[in-house]
Order: sequence, then structure tokens, then C-alpha cells
Amino acid sequence: MFAAKLLPQLFAFFGIAAVVLRGYPERRRPLAVSVGAGFAVGAAVAFFLFRNFPGSFPFELIRTVVGASFFLFWGIAVTALYRSSERALPDASGRSSRLDAVAAPVIALGAAVTAGALAACRFSGNDAPLGPVPALVLLLVIGALLAAAGFFLEAKLPEALTVSRAGTLGGVVALLLLSSSYLVRLDLFSPLSMKVMKGCHDFVHQFMESVLIPDHLFVRPQIWGYIGILFSKEVGFWGGMVIWFTPFLLVAIAVRFELLPSVGHIRQGAQRRKLLAAAIRQRRMKLIVPLLSLVLMAGAAYRSSFPDVEYWDPKPIPVAADPSGDVFIPRKGGEVDLSDGKLHKYLLKGGAREVRFFVMLTPTGKLTVDLDACAICKPDGYGQGEGSVICYYCKTLIPLETVGKPGGCNPVPVAFSEKPDGVHINGVTLVNAWSTTVQSTGAKKEGGK
Amino acid sequence: MTVPTIQTAGLTKGYGDICALKPLDLQVAEGEWLSVMGHSGSGKSTLMNLVGGLDRPSGGSLSVGGQDLSALSEDGLARFRREFVGIIFQQHHLVPYLSAVENVMLSQYFHSVPDEAEARLALERVGLGHRLKNRPGELSGGEQQRVCIARAIINSPKLLLGDEPTGNLDHKSTVMVLELLKELRAEDRFTVVLVTHNEEVAAWGDRTIYLDDGVLVREERLRS
Amino acid sequence: MKRFLNVLWAALSSRALTPVVIGFFFLAYIVIAFFTEEALITLIGLTGHSLLLGMVVALLPLNAACRIVAEALRFRKGRRLLTRPETEPDPALFDEVVALDPSPAPSLADFQKRLAAAGYRSRMVGERLAAWRGVSLAPVRVVFLAAVFCLFAGILISVQGRVVSRQSIIEGEPLPTVTGNGGVVERITLQDGTGSILRKELIIKVGAGGQGGAREFGIYPPGLMDGAFVYPRYLGVAMEYQFSAPDLPLFRRAVVLPLYPPGREATEELSGSPYRITYVVERPEDGSDPYATGKFNLGFKLIKGGDVVLTGRVPGGGEFVRDGYRLAIPDARRMVVTDYVRDYGVILIWWAGFLFLFGILAWLPMRLLAPRREMFFTPDGGSVRGWSRSEGRGRKHAAIFHEILDLIATPRSAATQVEE
Repeated sequence: MFAAKLLPQLFAFFGIAAVVLRGYPERRRPLAVSVGAGFAVGAAVAFFLFRNFPGSFPFELIRTVVGASFFLFWGIAVTALYRSSERALPDASGRSSRLDAVAAPVIALGAAVTAGALAACRFSGNDAPLGPVPALVLLLVIGALLAAAGFFLEAKLPEALTVSRAGTLGGVVALLLLSSSYLVRLDLFSPLSMKVMKGCHDFVHQFMESVLIPDHLFVRPQIWGYIGILFSKEVGFWGGMVIWFTPFLLVAIAVRFELLPSVGHIRQGAQRRKLLAAAIRQRRMKLIVPLLSLVLMAGAAYRSSFPDVEYWDPKPIPVAADPSGDVFIPRKGGEVDLSDGKLHKYLLKGGAREVRFFVMLTPTGKLTVDLDACAICKPDGYGQGEGSVICYYCKTLIPLETVGKPGGCNPVPVAFSEKPDGVHINGVTLVNAWSTTVQSTGAKKEGGK
Repeated sequence: MTVPTIQTAGLTKGYGDICALKPLDLQVAEGEWLSVMGHSGSGKSTLMNLVGGLDRPSGGSLSVGGQDLSALSEDGLARFRREFVGIIFQQHHLVPYLSAVENVMLSQYFHSVPDEAEARLALERVGLGHRLKNRPGELSGGEQQRVCIARAIINSPKLLLGDEPTGNLDHKSTVMVLELLKELRAEDRFTVVLVTHNEEVAAWGDRTIYLDDGVLVREERLRS
Repeated sequence: MKRFLNVLWAALSSRALTPVVIGFFFLAYIVIAFFTEEALITLIGLTGHSLLLGMVVALLPLNAACRIVAEALRFRKGRRLLTRPETEPDPALFDEVVALDPSPAPSLADFQKRLAAAGYRSRMVGERLAAWRGVSLAPVRVVFLAAVFCLFAGILISVQGRVVSRQSIIEGEPLPTVTGNGGVVERITLQDGTGSILRKELIIKVGAGGQGGAREFGIYPPGLMDGAFVYPRYLGVAMEYQFSAPDLPLFRRAVVLPLYPPGREATEELSGSPYRITYVVERPEDGSDPYATGKFNLGFKLIKGGDVVLTGRVPGGGEFVRDGYRLAIPDARRMVVTDYVRDYGVILIWWAGFLFLFGILAWLPMRLLAPRREMFFTPDGGSVRGWSRSEGRGRKHAAIFHEILDLIATPRSAATQVEE
């Protein structure tokens, strides 16, 4: 079972080895060694980080590296498109080969180190069957085997299947993102969607103000409905999709725009056509990796939207306020132990209003009481996963260390007093907090799980 | 010394128990026009199919344009046919619902990519610059055969094979087609192997070989 | 020095400059987003206050302007090839340049008929044969570049220089202006919109007494006053109220409250007392819009500490009295919260929108139906040089170009036989 969980990371690494070797065929042997070594280094560094920086830091670091690689690829994709739309034919000065001499090992090593770290992340959880040292040894062996397999199997691929420079990086980045999408704490698509939603909202708002467009008061509801689409969660998802897929499409378009070779100097039509046909065929072949990358990215987005993780999500226990308005949660009672580090959900009914909140002990050793909702999303609530809680609505992960702090998609903290017997919360405070934050974000619960 | 376009040694072809071509040694020089004569079933079409890469020999060696055809893979053989050989059939085999220029472009398509300007030029070379948009049904037999010639030469073959190309034509058209082939050969310097029943047609070649029951029985050099 | 200027020109007129600058700001946005939720506003604020960032933004319109010049020069160079025989073609302008050494040297004029059959117009310019078809996209490119110029110049001006002053325009009061001489707002009219976009139309009618004479301000496009755009934001009620309670002597105040649309609440703190009053404009039963009719029926909630002590309704010009409490509203008028926006960048951004729209509408049919294709054949001693370029349908154009080159290289008798 655990081996099956590790498969996506290993598949991604094998793919990276194959893509890099195909992308830089003139440096196959040293690159294969670099890729194998890089995987080992990445895994070792990740284990070092897990050991010395408990908490979310190692994951944040790895996620930042993967995210940065994606944005770097964005830049490369735009550059590729820019260059392909120039009139000039491919540079024959040898500059590109000098650039390759640097780029090839950097891409190979960088990708392999990240892939190794991603694979090591699988061994960070409590369900890992091996300790760090045997796990590292296992990963070193697997890395070497997969690099060797990549080296031999890549050679078996059809010779005509070539890949552009940008396509190589794209393939590598897509595999890294696919690999990370299988680790909920490293997921990038959901946070990207959230950022896009916020960015789009801000941009539209700023744009309308800057060109003095009238407010909704004066605009027909139907028209405002269209504008309203730009403020919705769907914009986050679709905008995220656009950002997610566009660089790969840009690379594909860049390949499509590559100038065909000049054949005007050849005086035999058949010869000219043969050269053109070969160039067109090569161009088509170069499309394969970017298009496959799109499929991988779709897989990553799907994994992000429907993560295969079971969250700890207990049924809320009904509680009531005493005549003085005090809600008391005992430290231990029934099956509940507030100090077990788990999420404990409660439901307070005050008249027609219902307030869902939870109590938990954070890794910093402090109890926290929070609404089972944030100030941004619809109140679908939170589930607890490895080292974090997740907002079911927007899939944002909140590290356990920051639960209890206000802002963003964090659960809304509620004031409480901690006594030896348990936790005391003012019922009015709870109801007011729910009314002022959650009611304003709207409406009814939507199925997010 | 130039390599012969066609070189065979002990070339045979059998279909089951039937031996269509018995061991044949033959050389055709680059740019030569070879006429192959014989009765029906004498093995001349078998020979043409073998040198055109349409069929594989049963034995012996066959080298065309320096390539050992029996060693080529199916892909290699298909590439050889696409790039090295042009064939003209007695029955034209033109696509009836395509225009003359489109028929020529079809051949370009299977070779590489279509190029209408070049196809038009090829039809002009065979004297059909004014019939580009006509479909085969709107052309005379001689004109159709000229479209076939344009189609056969469009990919600049080194070897042009003709299987009774004038078999369905009247005398005037026959002369016109053969005259055209002669001109084109002079310009493009391809080798011609032309299978025919007709002595008069065979006489347009540099050399004639006679096959009978799969055996080369006679050879006649008309001009060097 | 000349070399430096050349490098500078190459950089400023480079196609890469705009994507690089936009990429820079995009990266800056991502970095800022790590630290704050309000990344865009922070970035705009930083750009507005930093001269250096302002200069980076300024590279965008500068780049567009330089590219317009470069495009115009290229276009002129291309045109001269068609008209002036002495103009030497610039290889950088062409997709393919091919030199041939035919024997015998052909007469280029013979090919005009063949080119005409392929749809090309042609002309002998001196000893040179020029052939072309389709419409050049260069003017459309200039339109796009002009749009880019306007957009980024507008953004630059907006970000660096926008001054916004929020004012309340009240019916019957002088229009608030910098000089204090704006004339009296005679009437504020809210009526149903007639177009497909605006639901309501707002007309602020100012009397002749003030500076600028009688005038009207609408919603869109916004009117100009003292060089600032008048940008109505929200509607509300300007009113005077008088309140007294058993434990409070008469309290009188004039306020402006954002009470539109009906149902929206606004709370007024009675400073120095434990009272606050929440007002709401009630929705008339006949369904009319109180802002349109000017008849405001104000619901109120009197709160003392945390308790609601009284609720009721007062029409504009009326009063409410109960249990020793009295609330009178002698005057309630229409009010518009308005931003005076001094920002000429807006005009440029509007222009950018028009130019982009025009550019796309022109580009699409030109590119799809008749892209520009050109070829030149220039004799050079005994040899011939062929030059070709296209802005679309390149493969077909190249085929015709190659056909002519083939005919130049191998003159054939059949070559002149063209289907008419």
C-alpha cells in the first residue's frame, strides 16, 4: 500500500530522467549520472530538514522550489514564444550550445534534487513504514535504478521523438508538479487558485475605479452579473487553470511558429519539399512532450481538487450555554481529550442560529478555540490532515502552528478562558463572531468535501 | 566509374511453385532507357515490380540506385518507392474526382508536402498548362497519360518505370508521350525502364531486353 | 558615442522590452503577495511613490513609441523598394534571399504574366521586378503599438499623479469645488436607464450662478469640473434632525448618510450622550424609488447602550413624538457621494481600449483574407537575386517564389504556357 503511494514520485523521477536525456541527447551519460546523484542528494537534504526543522518549514521550502520552477518555466515559455515569432532563423552561432552546456546540468540536477526531496516527503508522515536511515538507503537504491532505467529505456524511444529546450523544461516541471500534487501539503494548484481569485478581484476593482466605471447601483443587474463572475470562486479555479496550462500551450505554439528552413536555394522541388516535410514532421514530434505535459498538469490539477486523503473530521458535539451565557467544554469527557492534538468540533444552538466551532491543542502546546469557518470562504469547515488543517471550501492548507491566528483563510479565533477543568467560552461572543464573519461571507453550505 | 542504377545478380521471383523470374543478371546504367519486351506471363511485369520496390525478390541480389532492396525494411522500401521511383501505368490510375493539378499534388502529398505551384509547373512541362483544373474524365487518353507522367516525375525520381504506358493510346498520342518522356529524360537525367509489347515503342529506348518464361533470352542495343 | 546610441536604440525599440518589464512587475507582485494580502494595492502604491519604479513603468510607453518609429521606418523602407529602383533591399526585412546564376540571364519582365496568374500585382522598378499582393499589416501594428503606448502612458500618469477628493453633492447646496464657487446644485435626478448597460441614470443639474455656468453631470462618461472627473459613487440622504429625550435636551445636527438603496441602514452616534440612532429609508408601498420621488420616509431605531428603546418612522419634514422622546427631520434631501478624480491617464486608457478594439477589427480580416506577400527579383551583373517575405500564407507564397526561381534557373519553353 505504501509502495503504491510512492509510485507517483518515482514515476515522475523516471519521467524527468527520460525527458532530460531526450532534451539533451549529446550529454546523455553525464546527465544520467547527474540525475541519479541529484535524486540521492535531494532525498538526503529532505531527511536532514525533517530532522532539524520539525513543522511545516521543509514542506514550505520544497513547495516554494516547485512553485519557483513553475514560474521560471513561465518565463522560458514566453521567451520561447518570443523567439519563435522572430523572423530570424535559429541561431547558428553556437551560443545556444554554450547555453546548453550550463542549462542541461542545472535542469537535470535541480529537477532530480527536487524529485528526490518530493519522494522523501512520503516518508515524513507517521504512516511511513521505515525510519529515516533505511528510507534514505532505499531511495538511494531506487534513484540509481530509475536513473539507469531512464538511461536505457530513453534510448529505445523513437529517434524522431525530439523535444525543444523549453519543452524539456516544461516536461520536467509538469512531472514535478504532478509528483507534488500527490502530497497534500505540497499542493500548489489550490493556493494558486486562491491567489488568482484575490488577484482578479483586486484587479477588476482597481480597473473599474481607475477608468471610472459606475458602481453596481447604476448598472443593470444582468451586466453586473457578468462583472460579478470575475469576483467568484470559479474565476479562481478557471484563472488558476489558465495560469496552470498556458505556459505549456505557449511552448506548443512556439514550436508551431518555428520558422521552416529556408529552401529557396535548392533548385529541385522534390528536395525542397522533402526538407520542408522533415521540418514539419520534426515540429510535430516536438509537440508531443508539451502536449503530454498538459495531460500531466491536468492530472495534477485533478489531484489537487480531489485529494486522495482522509481528513480527521469528527461529528460536532452539541453544546449549550448556561443561563449566564457560558459555554463549557471539559478538558476530558467521554471519548474527547482536548490535549490529544486533534480537532474537536462542537455545535452551539442559540435560537435559530447555529455556531460550529472547534477546540484543539496546537503543536506549540496551547489550546485554541476557533470557528469552524474562515472570514473568506463559505463555511464548509475544516478537516485535519498531516500537520495542517484544510479548508474544505478552497482546499487551502493551514499549518497547525498557525491555527488560532487570525487572517486569510485561517479559522476565525474566538476569545476563551482556559481553566484547569476545561475551556470556557462566552456564547454571545461565539454567536456574534459567527454572525459578523460567517454570515457576511454568505449563505449556505456548499458541498466541498 | 558510375554505379549502375539497376544491378541484379541471379535475381529470381517465385509465387508458390511458379517461377515468374528465373535467375537474371542485369545492369541498367544511370540515365539509360531500357525497353523490356516479352509475351504475357514472360516475367516483364514481375521484373518491373521488383525494381520498383513493389515486390520482394525470392532470391539473388537486387540493387537499385546503390540500395540493396532485399535488405530494406518495409519502411525503407516505402521510402525508396516514394523518393526514388516514378511509375506510369497503362490504366492511368488517376483519381477521377480530383483535377489534373490535384492528382499531381496527391503524389507530392505522399512524398512530402503538396506544392501547387510546382505541380502546375510539372503539368506545364508535359504541355497541360491549359488543363490544370480539368478532371481526368474531361481529358483525352493522351492527356491523361501526360498527367500520369507529370505525377511520375513530380518527385524527381531517379528511375521512371513504365508498364505499357502507351498501350491504350493511338499512334499520334503514343509518339507525343514518348517524345515527352525523351525530352524530360534529357532534362532530368532519370533512368527509364519501359515494359511494352510494341516493337515500335521499344525502339525509342537505348537497349531492349526480351524475356520469355522468366528468362532473358535476347538483348539488343539500339544506341549507346 | 554612436555605438552607445545604437545599443540604446536597439534596447528601447526591442520587442523584448515590454514583456521583460511586465514580467518584472509580475514577479514583484508574486513577491509582495508572500507578505501581504493586498498585493496589487501595495504594488500600485509602491509604483506611485517610487521614482525608480515609475521610470521602469515609463519604459513601456517609451518602448511602444520607439517601436512605432522603427515600424514606420521599416514600412517606408519597404515602400521605397516598390517605387525607387536605387533602393537596396535590406535582407533583415525578408524571409528568404536567394542568389542565382542563370544562363542565359532571363528577362524578368517575362514573369509578370505568370505572377499575375497567381494573383500578384507586379511592376518593373528599373531593372528590378517587384511583385506583391494583399494588404500590409504594418499600419495595424502601429495601431496596436499606439494602443500599448496609450495604455501604459495612461497607467503611468494614473499611478503617479491621480488625486481623488471625495465630496458630498447635496441638492440645493453649492457644488463643492476647490474655489468654492461651484454654483448651486439645483436638482439631482435619478431615473430609470434607457440603454442596455445603465439601470439608473443620474443627472446632477447645477445652476448658472457659479463658475462655469449652468451644467449637468451624468454618470458615464463622467463630466469634467475644474480639470477633475466627477465620478458619482454612492447615493444617500442629506438631512437635518432634531432629537430630544427625557434625559437629553435638544440635539440638532445636519448629516449626510449613505442610505441608498432603501433598506440600507446607517447609524448616527449622538456624541456626548448614550444614544445612537439607526436610520433606514423605507421602501414605499407603491414600489416607487424614494430617491427618484424625493420623498424620504425614514425608519429609525433609537438605541441606548445596548438596548433598543424606540422604533418608529418619520417622513422628511415631519416628526415623531412618544414617551418624552421627540425626533424631527425638518429637511431631507438627495445627496450623491462623489469622487473628484484629477487623472488624465484615464483618457489615455480609454483611447487604448478604442485602439485595441479598432486594431483587432482591422487585423483579423486583413490577416485572414489578404495578408501581405512580396517578392523582388534584382539583376546583379549576370546573376539574379530573389527576395521574399510574407505576413501570412507563407507556404503558398514561398512555393510561388520558388517556382519563379526555378524558371529563372532553368528557362524552359513550356514555362510561358500559363492557364489564363
